[in-house]
Amino acid sequence: MDFYFGLLQIFGVHTLLGLSAYVVLLTGQVSMAQAGFYAIGAYAAGACTAMFGMHILPAVLIAGLLTAVVACVVGFPALRVKGLMLVVATLAFGEMVRLFFFNLTWQVERGGEMVGPNGAEGFRSIRYFPENGWEIWQVTGFIWIIVAVIMVALWWVDRTRAGAVLRAVGHDETAAQSIGLNLTAVKVGAMTAGGFIAGIGGGIYAHTVTHIEHGVFGVLLATFAIAYPILGGLGSIFGTLIAVLFIQGFLIEGLRFMGDWRSLLFGALIVLAMNLRPTGLLGEHAPRLSQLFGRKTNDHDKSLELKEAE
Amino acid sequence: MKLKSFLAAGLVSVSALAMSTAAMAEDKTVRIVGFGASSGVVGIFGQNSSAAMSAAFEKINAEGGVTLADGSKAQIVTEYYDDRCNAEEGISVLRRIATTDALIAIGPTCSNVAEPLFGILQAKVDDSGDTGLQFPVFTDVAIKGGLAGISEWVFRNTPSEAKMYDDLFAWIRATHPDLKTIYGGVEEDFAHSRFTWYEVMKKAAEQHGFEVVGEAQWLLSDTNFSNQARGMRREEPDIVAISAHPFTTCGMLREMARQKIQPKVLVGLTSSSSLETLSGCAAEAQGLTIPTSFAPVNDDARSAAEAVVAKGGQMDLHSASAWENAMILRDVINAAGIEGTPESLDADRRKIRDGLSTLTEAQGLLGVNQRLPDGEAVKPYVFVHAKDAGWEVLHDPGS
Amino acid sequence: MADASGANEATAKMDYFFIIDFVQSLVDGLLFGTTYALIGIGFTLIFGVMRKLNLAYGAAALAGTYIGLAAFLAFDAPPPVVFLASALGSGLIGLVVYYCCFRFTPTSYPMASLLASVGMLLFIDEVVIHLSHGMPFPYPSVFSDATLELGDIWIRGDLLFVFGMCVVAMAVLFWLLYRTPLGLATRAVSQQPRAAQLCGIDSTRVNALTFVIAGILGGVAGAMTAAAVGVLSPIIAMGLTVKGLIVVVIGGLGSIPGAIIGGLLVGAAENVFLLLRGVTERDIYVMLLLFLFLTLRPGGLFGSTAGRD
Repeated sequence: MDFYFGLLQIFGVHTLLGLSAYVVLLTGQVSMAQAGFYAIGAYAAGACTAMFGMHILPAVLIAGLLTAVVACVVGFPALRVKGLMLVVATLAFGEMVRLFFFNLTWQVERGGEMVGPNGAEGFRSIRYFPENGWEIWQVTGFIWIIVAVIMVALWWVDRTRAGAVLRAVGHDETAAQSIGLNLTAVKVGAMTAGGFIAGIGGGIYAHTVTHIEHGVFGVLLATFAIAYPILGGLGSIFGTLIAVLFIQGFLIEGLRFMGDWRSLLFGALIVLAMNLRPTGLLGEHAPRLSQLFGRKTNDHDKSLELKEAE
Repeated sequence: MKLKSFLAAGLVSVSALAMSTAAMAEDKTVRIVGFGASSGVVGIFGQNSSAAMSAAFEKINAEGGVTLADGSKAQIVTEYYDDRCNAEEGISVLRRIATTDALIAIGPTCSNVAEPLFGILQAKVDDSGDTGLQFPVFTDVAIKGGLAGISEWVFRNTPSEAKMYDDLFAWIRATHPDLKTIYGGVEEDFAHSRFTWYEVMKKAAEQHGFEVVGEAQWLLSDTNFSNQARGMRREEPDIVAISAHPFTTCGMLREMARQKIQPKVLVGLTSSSSLETLSGCAAEAQGLTIPTSFAPVNDDARSAAEAVVAKGGQMDLHSASAWENAMILRDVINAAGIEGTPESLDADRRKIRDGLSTLTEAQGLLGVNQRLPDGEAVKPYVFVHAKDAGWEVLHDPGS
Repeated sequence: MADASGANEATAKMDYFFIIDFVQSLVDGLLFGTTYALIGIGFTLIFGVMRKLNLAYGAAALAGTYIGLAAFLAFDAPPPVVFLASALGSGLIGLVVYYCCFRFTPTSYPMASLLASVGMLLFIDEVVIHLSHGMPFPYPSVFSDATLELGDIWIRGDLLFVFGMCVVAMAVLFWLLYRTPLGLATRAVSQQPRAAQLCGIDSTRVNALTFVIAGILGGVAGAMTAAAVGVLSPIIAMGLTVKGLIVVVIGGLGSIPGAIIGGLLVGAAENVFLLLRGVTERDIYVMLLLFLFLTLRPGGLFGSTAGRD
């Protein structure tokens, strides 16, 4: 059972990472900075509990808020550019964050031991959960309550005017601007929200693995962050969830019995999936209940075909 | 719908896995599982470990297997899981192993997986306030110093670098009394190499009266070493110590050759005493001196190496540890008197843990391994140097 | 007195060493920077004709280099053949990447091909690792023992060769782009894809050929990187990709001269920061420079179309 709870923890953490990129992607921006935000959250939450003995909940919230502030500050200059330029600018920022933690040594004494980030050797002993007697199902429950709250919030936002605004900017910036939307505000807002979610995700991640180091938060993780929403489809938050299940549950965990071949299949299956369903597993539009049960609505399919034929 | 087929495939594979982990209903068996990186850039380590483990268990089984509490014999079954050198995957793999009937796990490969992995285990045995996982792990490859202290459920059979390098520099002091200065080269962004230079090699060299005249740093994926080598050339060091993995070790050695830096003694990182360094740059590595806990110096070691090669792996200091772990576990299981039934699983795991923790000595391929109270080992070693595309034993402190 | 003059002498020596180091770093960086420039040109070419980012590019270049290495190990081929095999192999893989990731994904939805190319990156990387077991292998080089000594400045013969090869590759590219019908078609597609199609240019063919050409450039860059280090390992793929992207952005999207200058600049800046700030901080400064550059001058050095996507 522990194994499945552990797996659920990984799903939860990666869903948060994917959702953080999802919010930014809605505005049409590909941000490779999510791994950097995730790192900030991880180190901040780790410091709160392991170095200063705080409770996990405020620690994770502080991590989220701190990361949101950083994302907001970075968002202003970064979002002046778009497309490939933004990819590289955010990539540069993410790498800067990683290298910052690579160089960061800041340890305090707690219980006779030095605790805290120690440069390239990382930050060990973030053992809040086991030390405080949390059983694995409690940890998993805690993570999924947070994930559920964030998902409900995003789902609700998606249904309101704010969601329409985000998507309008994502679909056609010029048109969005011409109807009086403030592009900078919308994009920076999305970036800040994404930063908040990534910070919380990172904060939880640090506590599920107990040891973090700069190497984890590299370009590869940033790529995964954007891969989840794109692979799942930008139609709704469930796309990201499905993609996390597909990648973490099927490609990584489900195929483990294939040994060395698993890693080969990993990339190949992503290529295949994108060729078969270019707009993601769930597509660009929010799925309707009738569709989930197999009764396709024809007009919806037609619009997709038109798009692809363009 | 494509989506449905994806989901269906996922469900099928998950349920297939659940089936495969169910206990096999044959003769008595005990399960010991290996895990580590068997794909990705460091995949070769896991592949070698996996080969060494299966060769060792095959040998044990051919000799009758292990003895259970009731005197009956049981065969050892094994498998190997790939964690891709990723912390999350490593944790997931260990949790999966812990849900099967495996008695103990041997792994992981990477220090950056080992450190988080040991963190999720219970830190102190019988500490009811600590809800960490209670499952014994016997590490073969992850070598970064001081990791076993994280949890009392962790044991390692990796060589003690502190001891090896201390002796190496003592030996250099004795055999080359005229040498005075040492220059270090370190792969700065890899936890193990960094630790080994700053905490092990540098301290050992200073201990034995060598003056550290400078340090060159580079990163794992660097391709240009000319600045670093130039700094080294100016100091004209007698000894150069390189704490890095084969790719950058080779790059640096080439640059040193180009700039005509010829130290009288060249010291390398333990993990570099493998085939990789020779495959990458046999000519430049000529003379590179490394302390290692494995070399085919006696009959046992030679026959073990042959058995591993027959399984498609290579025997080096890392896979030798995997082999030794298998042999040590056989002895521990024989002595512990486990019952080997599904009901006794938790008790059996605990017995093996206790057995390992009370062990003060264990037979290794090169001689007797000392077991330390914190779960670490001090293993016999030899100094080897690269010569004509092979590793040749330079000095055997045990003989 | 003696002490003071000794100290003075020491500082003078330090200063002299510093200047030598500085010049030497700059020279090495500039020479090595040509490989970055080639990768940058490859990205720019693909981006120019397709308006899409090919993240599998660095991995394809690496895989091509391994094909050259296979020729070296299997047939003991001489260095020129190895380099040629690397370049052509990489071109071929470029074509495979095009058909797997770009040909059948919708042009109006760039994220599909972006993620497909990420999948391809992981796949190619793993194939290379699977076949080579992740072992580093020696890669042949030429003039590796020759050194041009100008006073205290040493210029490596093999780096000069790398520089020369990269310049030749660029020259051939320019000839191809500006003196052949193929080049004309390529430029037409990159300027106005739809208009080019109306004029009877088969854009699929042009796209495929662009991937091949870019692949060949990447193969040359990979081969030259491996030749300069003397060892080939799968580790270098990620570095090539990231450096290439940085170069494109500094030079300006779609600008080949920009990519060349950008490559040299990144090579030099990297080495100088290494000298001044040490290896752990080196990349922070490179990234910071890039970030500032991007936000202050989003069009790059030579780009005219700021931030177009």
